[in-house]
Amino acid sequence: MRNKKIQFPVLILIVLTSLLACTKQEYTIPDPVAQLTNDCIKRTIGPSIVGLPLEFAYAMALPKLNGKLVSAQVEANYAGATGTYLEHRSFYTNTSGVDVPIVVGSPSSNADKLTKMNFTVDTSAATLRYYYVIPEEARGKSVSFTFTVNSSDGKTASYKMGPYTISKMNIVKNLAVSNGANAYISIEDMKVYNAAAAATNAGKIDLVYLYRAAPTTFTHALVSPASDAAYLPGVTLPTGVNRSTKLRKVFGLQDRNLANLQFGIYIDDIDFQQLDMVDMPNYALGLRAESGVWVETTDKKYRAYIFVNSINAAGTAVISILRYTL
Amino acid sequence: MAKFLKITLSILMMSVIIISCKKDSPVDEDGLLITFRQECFVSNFELLGSDFVTVRAATAVIDTIAQTINVTVNPGTDLKNVYPQFSLATDCKLDPKIIGKTDLSNLTSPKIYTVVSGNRKIRKPYTLNIKF
Repeated sequence: MRNKKIQFPVLILIVLTSLLACTKQEYTIPDPVAQLTNDCIKRTIGPSIVGLPLEFAYAMALPKLNGKLVSAQVEANYAGATGTYLEHRSFYTNTSGVDVPIVVGSPSSNADKLTKMNFTVDTSAATLRYYYVIPEEARGKSVSFTFTVNSSDGKTASYKMGPYTISKMNIVKNLAVSNGANAYISIEDMKVYNAAAAATNAGKIDLVYLYRAAPTTFTHALVSPASDAAYLPGVTLPTGVNRSTKLRKVFGLQDRNLANLQFGIYIDDIDFQQLDMVDMPNYALGLRAESGVWVETTDKKYRAYIFVNSINAAGTAVISILRYTL
Repeated sequence: MAKFLKITLSILMMSVIIISCKKDSPVDEDGLLITFRQECFVSNFELLGSDFVTVRAATAVIDTIAQTINVTVNPGTDLKNVYPQFSLATDCKLDPKIIGKTDLSNLTSPKIYTVVSGNRKIRKPYTLNIKF
């Protein structure tokens, strides 16, 4: 009798649970946008490096009956460096995945922290790209942006992006080095010198580029001036060039920025901070295209990553440098 | 009904007791299974540089009788920062363990790695000889 009393409510509970679980969730169509609205995404995904652009896509629209777009602007907390602009073309992606531009306004103008463009066509929707070239004054700080659009009905919409931390790294790309000529590399200056210029900058020369066809494991090399003479065969160093720089060979670390936007790997500040250079040698032999070396200068002022973009058998190579100040 | 329940419970308890009394498989201090295997040798050896690319100039010569591994490395190899890799017979382990980059730069005092068999009863020290 007691069991039957329990069984009935349990049965009801199970039936109710089953019914509730099977309730269909009806899809409701969102309300159409009734006024000027906007949205923004950041398209750049790597570290933010001074001199390189941050790219955004800023979308804006209003119902056609309300009017048209009049102007769009972006305000950054640090004025962008030369090359900062807001596209006057709106992009859409076609069925082949290609971004197709359509001119919708006059080229943008920069005034201090503000970048502005005016629409010249009658349009109620657009997606504009914004390229912010990171200025030197923002190094190690944060940047943020306010995107704003104005429409002909007097309405304004804004969208805030950021803050984004700006890396402490410096970058220089595609430096040509050659055996016996432009062979002296300065991490401090992020430049390559010939022997005469190296002599006048002797205290800044960290590495010597060498090429030796034999032994076959030597080929393209980066050798510290203070390295054993065995790794500097036939080299007479300019007077005063005597620094000992630690090197660590790496293969397969093709930073996207150094590799001219190939590959999907990024080196960031934290990589330099956590780098273990204890007991590393002061030479790196047998470098190949797309290999690299981590570098720590003798005064421990800088760490760097030198990427070998290309090499050729005539004893020349193209390198790119990412440098971090400790 | 009550009788049926008693029988079921009794079977269940017996099962639990039998399972709980089953002897565990033996494991060593590293949590590795100790097996019956007596094979104890190095089958292959590799030496990688800091870029994880081989620094060998030729295939390593492994002498399982003399228990030596002779490796010739490329000129200029930085032996302070290398990663040795051993392939061992089934169920064997290596002592000392290789946990990261290794300093093999002292060529006058070659490093000795001991292979321990699967049954953990046989130990064979291999001398790693490196030359340029």
